[in-house]
Amino acid sequence: MTAASMTQTAEEAALAQLIVETLNLDLAPDEIGPDGLLYGDEGLGLDSIDMLEISLTVSQRYGVKLRADAGNNTEIFHSLRSLSAYIQGHRQV
Amino acid sequence: MTQEAARLQEWARRPERGSLPLLRFGVWVARCLGRPAARLLLYPLVLYFSFLCPAASRASRAYLARVRGAAPGFAQRFTHFLTFARCLLDRVFLLNDESAAFEIEVHGDEILHAIEAQGGGCLLFGAHLGSFEVARALGRRRRRDLPISLLMYEENAQKIRAALAAINPSLATEVIGLGRAGSLIAVAERLRAGHFIGVLADRNLDGHDMRRMDFLGAPAAFPQGPFRVAAMLQRPVVFMAGLYRGGRRYELHFELLAAAPAARPANMQGWIEETMSRYVARVEHYCREAPYNWFNFHDFWA
Repeated sequence: MTAASMTQTAEEAALAQLIVETLNLDLAPDEIGPDGLLYGDEGLGLDSIDMLEISLTVSQRYGVKLRADAGNNTEIFHSLRSLSAYIQGHRQV
Repeated sequence: MTQEAARLQEWARRPERGSLPLLRFGVWVARCLGRPAARLLLYPLVLYFSFLCPAASRASRAYLARVRGAAPGFAQRFTHFLTFARCLLDRVFLLNDESAAFEIEVHGDEILHAIEAQGGGCLLFGAHLGSFEVARALGRRRRRDLPISLLMYEENAQKIRAALAAINPSLATEVIGLGRAGSLIAVAERLRAGHFIGVLADRNLDGHDMRRMDFLGAPAAFPQGPFRVAAMLQRPVVFMAGLYRGGRRYELHFELLAAAPAARPANMQGWIEETMSRYVARVEHYCREAPYNWFNFHDFWA
């Protein structure tokens, strides 16, 4: 993995901050690897209740509805990077 | 995760006994024979399974001892399994829109009407207690367009969806599979669209977030997940039980557990615990009313 892909972009860092605050995670935002899995025990260990929590916060903060059936939800929620890219592509505020 | 939580988790994810072809075959037999003959066939089947499943027998014995206050004999354990089998069999006929053949006594219907009138959906929290199907059947009979969805584990959901499609194709879309990142986001969307979402709130939705509550005289682990989701989505929570009362009779109960919080509860944990204890008290009440309707055949107090 190249050094660039290991580093969070500014948008990803802001989103990581939001996720850590929303879920009260016991880690620093910059510890979330941009390409690491968010969901499930092989990744950050988030469950579908956490994902719901994130989607509610994201809709408030960015005005982006993360729809369960829009394209491949698993891909959107795959990693910090994919989630951030989706938000940046759809944001209203 | 604690060992007991792991065990419960494993149980929740376990595919239901029997494969899909067997399930389809069972449905076919039931429909060919009709309900009275199929019910006779249940006796040898239940006898067979009560010897084949010692773990379920143990669980039945432990539960019946708690609810009755005395150790059950073979007759009571047999009745327990038979009640389960009869409810399972009736699902075939209820799903096939033959609900007119059943006498369904409804209590608390006005709660659902009030929620419907306000617009927006609600969460229907049931348990592995009696028949969930009877509520859906009733919904379809009264109002063809009342949207009811059921939350279910994915591997079970796929099988059940396939079986439902075989019985009545219009029902298959009503199942929301758990265990995906977006499962509960789908629930939020359907609630906004005014759906009534059925949840078996004595098993967890996801994660290992259990809380021990006093149940029939001893602490048992109940999941917090369903209640956390209810608080997050700010929709009313309605308790639901479809009790089998013998013959063709079912008794359907709806009770308001919690009105929709106007905002996310400031004391989230307090709201969850309060709503959970109300839920557990109602489950316990109906277990005492109709003891053989409890269909958690694993050690619930583990």
